Amino acid sequence: MRPGFAHFLLRLYPRAWRERYGEEFEVLLLAGRGSIRGDLGAAGNVVWSAFRERVSPTPVVARELVTAAGPGSVLALTKMPSAFLPLAMSMTALAVLGGHLILFGIAREADEGATAHIWQILMAGQIPILAVFATKWLRRAPKLAVKVLVLQVGAALASMAPVFLLNL
Amino acid sequence: MSSTRDVVFKEKDPEIGHYSDPPLLVLASLAGGAKHGHAMIEDILTLCGTRLGPGTLYGAIARLEQHGWIEPLAPEDRRRPYRITAQGAAVLRAKLTTLHLFSKAGLGRLEAL
Repeated sequence: MRPGFAHFLLRLYPRAWRERYGEEFEVLLLAGRGSIRGDLGAAGNVVWSAFRERVSPTPVVARELVTAAGPGSVLALTKMPSAFLPLAMSMTALAVLGGHLILFGIAREADEGATAHIWQILMAGQIPILAVFATKWLRRAPKLAVKVLVLQVGAALASMAPVFLLNL
Repeated sequence: MSSTRDVVFKEKDPEIGHYSDPPLLVLASLAGGAKHGHAMIEDILTLCGTRLGPGTLYGAIARLEQHGWIEPLAPEDRRRPYRITAQGAAVLRAKLTTLHLFSKAGLGRLEAL
């Protein structure tokens, strides 16, 4: 198999998987049969396996990712989209709200404006992501997942606090 | 009724008769000594005529490693060999014993047809 094609196929796998098996896997792909039919067969197999790995990561890879930054660290979990996206969305919602308060003050508006809609979308949009994170990681790395969930819920509450405290 | 003892179906379709349980095939291959990925694929092909795809092979390797049934050795020129653990050998023995009993019983029933 051509090196460029093998590298492309390898990139289909999640980063954690590539960090663990990437090098040896690429060597295996390069040592493939070389015929077009053989390469296409191997490519199909790799695409399907990479898809499965993305949908349901191998626990040993997940565990390595969790412990990559050292025992008890949540840094590794925050590398994953379902972990950091809710945090980022809450922080963005808070920033949007803060910007609105600075520009227009705390006067309550009769009609919901663009700021309110953006805030609502960001806050509601993170609920399914939080659910995905909890479903995926509470079983595999309960302690670290709880830490990240506490961070996520804390960030969401911080974003909601001004709305309720200032009765916006 | 035609005899089930002949192998006409196997000749018509080479896929018939192939056994595909990637984790078990990997364990059986490693029972013959430590191997890296490419050597495992070739060994399994010789062992039972099944060619595992690279993605399937590494899916099996990852899961076997997770169970502690195989373990990685130091890389050799970017290729990492794996070897079967004592626990993996026990699992392989148990599974093959079950398969042996199963095939013996199944073939015995076919003989009676």
